[in-house]
Amino acid sequence: MRWCPSLLLFGFLAAVNALSSSGNRLLVVLEDAEEKGSYSTLWGDLEGRGYNLIFESPKNEQLSLFELGDRAYDHILLLPPKSKGFGPSLSPKNLVDFMNSDGNVLLALSGKSTTPSAISSLLLEFDLHLSTDRSSVVVDHFNYDTLSASDKHDVLLLPRPGSLRPDTKNFFGGEGVLAFPSANPHTLGDNSLLAPILRAPTTAYSYNPKEDSNSVEEVFATGSQLALVSAMQARNSARFTLLGSVESLQDKWFSATVKAPGGNQAETANRDFAKQLTAWTFKETGVLKVGKIEHHLAKDDITVEDLNPSIYRIKNETVFSIEVSEYNYDRFIPFTVPTNDALQLEFTMLSPFHRLTLHPTATTANSTIYNTAFTVPDQHGIFSFRVNYKRPFLTYLEEKHEVTVRHYAHNEYPRSWKISGGWVWIAGLWSVVGGFLAFVFVWLYSVPASSVAKGKSKKMQ
Amino acid sequence: MQWWHSILQLSLLASSALPVAASSWGFADATVSVQTKGAGVGAGLKEQIPSNGALSTPVPLGNADTLKIVLTSQEDKSAKSAHQVFLLLQDPGSGLDISYPFSVKGNGKSRVELTWKDLPTQFLSVSKSIDARILIGSFGSSKAYDEPAFQLSLARGADEPVPTFEVSRYGKLPEIHHIFKDDAQSPPIVITLTFVAMVLATFPILAGVWLYLGANVCHLSTAMKSAPLPHAAFLGSLLAIEGIFFLYYTSWTLFQIIPAVAAVGVVTFISGSRALGEVQGRRLAGLR
Repeated sequence: MRWCPSLLLFGFLAAVNALSSSGNRLLVVLEDAEEKGSYSTLWGDLEGRGYNLIFESPKNEQLSLFELGDRAYDHILLLPPKSKGFGPSLSPKNLVDFMNSDGNVLLALSGKSTTPSAISSLLLEFDLHLSTDRSSVVVDHFNYDTLSASDKHDVLLLPRPGSLRPDTKNFFGGEGVLAFPSANPHTLGDNSLLAPILRAPTTAYSYNPKEDSNSVEEVFATGSQLALVSAMQARNSARFTLLGSVESLQDKWFSATVKAPGGNQAETANRDFAKQLTAWTFKETGVLKVGKIEHHLAKDDITVEDLNPSIYRIKNETVFSIEVSEYNYDRFIPFTVPTNDALQLEFTMLSPFHRLTLHPTATTANSTIYNTAFTVPDQHGIFSFRVNYKRPFLTYLEEKHEVTVRHYAHNEYPRSWKISGGWVWIAGLWSVVGGFLAFVFVWLYSVPASSVAKGKSKKMQ
Repeated sequence: MQWWHSILQLSLLASSALPVAASSWGFADATVSVQTKGAGVGAGLKEQIPSNGALSTPVPLGNADTLKIVLTSQEDKSAKSAHQVFLLLQDPGSGLDISYPFSVKGNGKSRVELTWKDLPTQFLSVSKSIDARILIGSFGSSKAYDEPAFQLSLARGADEPVPTFEVSRYGKLPEIHHIFKDDAQSPPIVITLTFVAMVLATFPILAGVWLYLGANVCHLSTAMKSAPLPHAAFLGSLLAIEGIFFLYYTSWTLFQIIPAVAAVGVVTFISGSRALGEVQGRRLAGLR
């Protein structure tokens, strides 16, 4: 009953703040104000979800991501610049600082123009790599739109992405086909913070359209090594998404009719995908939150005093439970662990002694309670209950609760008579006691044997 | 017979109509050869890849070998260079793919060479054979070519280690269950009881030896007559002290027994000095 008020508060906050879990100030960096009109559906969708869109040109010298040392915006949407970079206020360092203070960034690139080297160096901070000439375009002679790119094959038609791994949650799936016009590809470094959202098809490759050659002989990367959309979630769970094709966000491609070679005409699902992508980047989806954490001895009648003790004894039976919620567009919902994945509890002193799967036991209106029971290891020391749940596309959970694990107290061991091996010594002890008493008795009252014999002989005489 | 004729005509029309509607890419004179370093020219495997088909047997590629594929790309049966002439390797297990571009000449003649050094570690650690496909495509409306060509198997010597690679990704980790130390064990109860019996057997032995040596309690009545209270109190307090020790063993705490032992100890001291005085009197009287 104690968390009823907090539930109410949850609901209240959700009703007031029916949008991103981390704020609604969205800075859109757009160099050419005339281009604004070609993305009007995207702006409408974002405003409809509660964002306060602030359009700025990178040339504006007043533009600053920070005000009085605090973030001035919650999210940034960067459209590719026409000039040589985003300018001093949006330097790679400022953008990294912005992410370090929990801001989210969605960067869209285009294959139509050369990407400035400032952006390339920003991407290197995140272990995302563009081709060295920075003006590559992905083409695929097998999956292109025959209606709009029958000759150049640079409008890629892709199915909606499936889940990244069998054990991850898919935030970007759905029906329909995506159109990616003149996409600028990138490759991913070997980094666990990075996750590709959309890869190019196996048969795709990238080339520089400015190079006039009959055939490609040097490729930056091919096939599914080329990523078109990737995500980097920093250690503070700030999100950075790189979208290879800014044109895919235009009104034109939100409701275009496309036709793959040998396929049927189909409507693009770009609008839905753009919603999923912006929602994920700006923390409307995949945001986890821990509610109450409880641990106590495994017994039936638990009072408030028994909860979360600071000390346990070795070999205690212990129960641990954690409440996890997931933010889904406008409210917190109960979090379900993806299939093949597990929420794990570690009982750690330097290294984990136990690593156990937490199982869902109860669900409230907006959280799931995960629970497990285990025996405290037979090692005393300072242990901690740790839940370290870091997964692609989900904000990181890291909980650490320290407890002391003590020895058995001297009166908690079994008594010596319960140990059959000790009976010999116990018998020895008490036989000494008995022997001592018998000796005292005999010493006090015994008559010397010679005088007894004398007395007897006197009587006989 | 008329319907038969019309169907034949239709099928002929259909078969001739398809290539006209969309031209397509293909290749001719494709050969795959494996050259072992140090072996003479002409040694090693050399096979013709059929157009639109694949070799039935896998092509083995050893550590010192070079795989070479030569082909002429064609658009509608006439030699022409294509923008994309790739050898695509795909691991059927993981779905991982990588392409190697052919070097293409103006007349469509293309060649690619491949050694173990060009393959990523992920492919070198695969135990099954890798799918090799040929991709030929270019801009325009011609249909691109993507068909399996052969299976590439890595001929690894018995003494060559399989390379391993490690990637660290966030995911679930293996469960750990603490292994507890074994509980303390007691010996079999029979052995314990045997030794207990041996300990307890000392009592009858002690009693027997005492009786043999002539121990007796003949002065009990004398002592009780001369000093009944000190003797009773002395023996009683000794018994009480042992009783307190027994209680300490079973349930009492140290601070419970200290006052009790102190009280009983005083009784023992006072009554003991009297009782032992009586014993001394008997000795002085020559009775012991």
